[in-house]
Amino acid sequence: MRVRLRLFAAVTLALSMPAAGQWLHYKTPGIPRTADGSPDLKAAASKTADGKPDLSGIWRGDPGGYGLNMAAELKPSEIQPWAEKLYKQRLEDLGKDSPSYRCMPQIGPYTSFGMFKILQTPTVIGVLSEGGVYRQVLTDGRPLPEDPNPTWMGYSVGHWDGDTLVVESAGFNDQTWLDAGHPHSEQLRVTERFRRKDFGHMELKMTFSDPKIYSRSWTIDVGLELVPDTELLEYVCNENEKDVKHFLITEEDRKQNRTNVKVAPETLAKYAGIYEMLNPEDAKAKPISMWVLTESDQLLMQMNGAGPKIPLAAQSATTFSVLGGTVVFVTDDKGAVTHFTMQAVEGDFKVLRKGNLPPAATK
Amino acid sequence: MIAAVISAVTARAQWLDYPTPGVPRLPNGKPNLTAPAPKTADGKPDLSGIWTTKAGYTGNIARDLKPGELSFQPWASEVYKHRQETQGKEDPQAYCVLSGVPREHVVPYPFKILNTPGMIAILYEALHSYRQIFMDGRKLPKDPNPTWMGYSVGRWDGDALVVDSSGFVDNNWLDNGGHMGTEAMKLTERFHRRDYGHIDLAVTIDDPKAYTKPWTVNLEFNATPDTELIEYVCDENEKDLKHLVGK
Repeated sequence: MRVRLRLFAAVTLALSMPAAGQWLHYKTPGIPRTADGSPDLKAAASKTADGKPDLSGIWRGDPGGYGLNMAAELKPSEIQPWAEKLYKQRLEDLGKDSPSYRCMPQIGPYTSFGMFKILQTPTVIGVLSEGGVYRQVLTDGRPLPEDPNPTWMGYSVGHWDGDTLVVESAGFNDQTWLDAGHPHSEQLRVTERFRRKDFGHMELKMTFSDPKIYSRSWTIDVGLELVPDTELLEYVCNENEKDVKHFLITEEDRKQNRTNVKVAPETLAKYAGIYEMLNPEDAKAKPISMWVLTESDQLLMQMNGAGPKIPLAAQSATTFSVLGGTVVFVTDDKGAVTHFTMQAVEGDFKVLRKGNLPPAATK
Repeated sequence: MIAAVISAVTARAQWLDYPTPGVPRLPNGKPNLTAPAPKTADGKPDLSGIWTTKAGYTGNIARDLKPGELSFQPWASEVYKHRQETQGKEDPQAYCVLSGVPREHVVPYPFKILNTPGMIAILYEALHSYRQIFMDGRKLPKDPNPTWMGYSVGRWDGDALVVDSSGFVDNNWLDNGGHMGTEAMKLTERFHRRDYGHIDLAVTIDDPKAYTKPWTVNLEFNATPDTELIEYVCDENEKDLKHLVGK
């Protein structure tokens, strides 16, 4: 589960093709089913032998826009200036130093972002991530360690608060990124509250606290959906790894000033606007809207006109690099921008220009 | 890997000294490792817990076999000789891919068995990887996408858990010495929890592409109570590769 493709989350999700192996279509035993045999995801959630809610199953969670900016709920004044600066720098660098690009694990709570399997026993809840690693939530009554050896995934203990599993985690190192670039310290604590609403749906509230960098704690909601009748695939990050050497911004690039292509402000202004792309998975679904904005001679992209603005780094007057891919603007014979092509590992996508930005966005 | 084995540090932090709940104990508080093996609610042997393989098989899973019991195909004999001569320089694990099965059961890192309805999972400290053993009655897939861990289905034969596995990658290493497994490999493992503190494991390797006949090794797991798995991140501070000096 790499952070890289968050901006293209919709595209990526749509394109994570369900490989049609027999193995992956085995009907999960024990799933309540409707008359036609399809999983009844609104059936009541089940209980374990000891009467606790049973959270077992394969689940999928997506942090949405938080994947790029976990601290979106905070005001800039609530974040240490050096941390905010570092976040912006990492965005401009297209995340090239992200530890996840180098196959390092993310914090344990982030196993909920992506596909994962919960295995529940009375004393430990095992979480198997399709990212290849596992996480343990110890429910044997032990407290969090007071002065643990810092780890990438941290230590997690859980207890039941009524029907809610409350998981507290600490003991993280300060190396991982919370999103596309926000740092955290070794003081980071994460509290997760899992509540299975029905067979197919789980509520997850994730609370972050890291007073060394963020002046208050904050909570995000992540909806988890059960994924029936399939299996986790083996993912080995180090196998056939070919990414690292292709990262756009290398020290050599910096020296040769390749990252400082200057594009005339009037050209950038021409690109600003609202663009739309068909949902690659379902052409009848609501199109994916992307806003292209300019701020201080910098081109930025924003999904649906909300959430974080991601810088586009000019490679030429028409070609720009962005987290997860390349954007190429196309004009007609009169010089008007008709669309841009988004080139990602999944292929090329045509994103049509729909109109100008609302006046408020151009201020 | 060799360096990692030598320096496998036994950090003794508070977290790692927490007494495992439910362990039968002697009057002096020490775990009673010869107490009877526990059972699950449905009356089957419960393999749950943290285990460590009896030492000695990391370099050669077949060390106890008599001459002739393990018989390479000619090409495999050459490859094994090459791997011995080059001191494991081409070991995929040196590149931080998974150790795979059955190698995870000969390396000296502990692992935790989780027993849940329909699934036995093994969490390995080595490489922070896991393995799933389906206990829901499904069959092995006929033409699976090859993986390092393979596909495993288990069933009970009396008190023994019998696990059949296939679907392995073609360049599996079964031990640090370089015994190979190919895509043709089928594994049969019989896990028997003799008492609270011990599991006997018989592994039969049936890989006609690499060996002229199946061969079986007997391993033993020792219960490792009152501790925890430590996070193992192969890519962190990786310094082995440049020191692999095999010719």
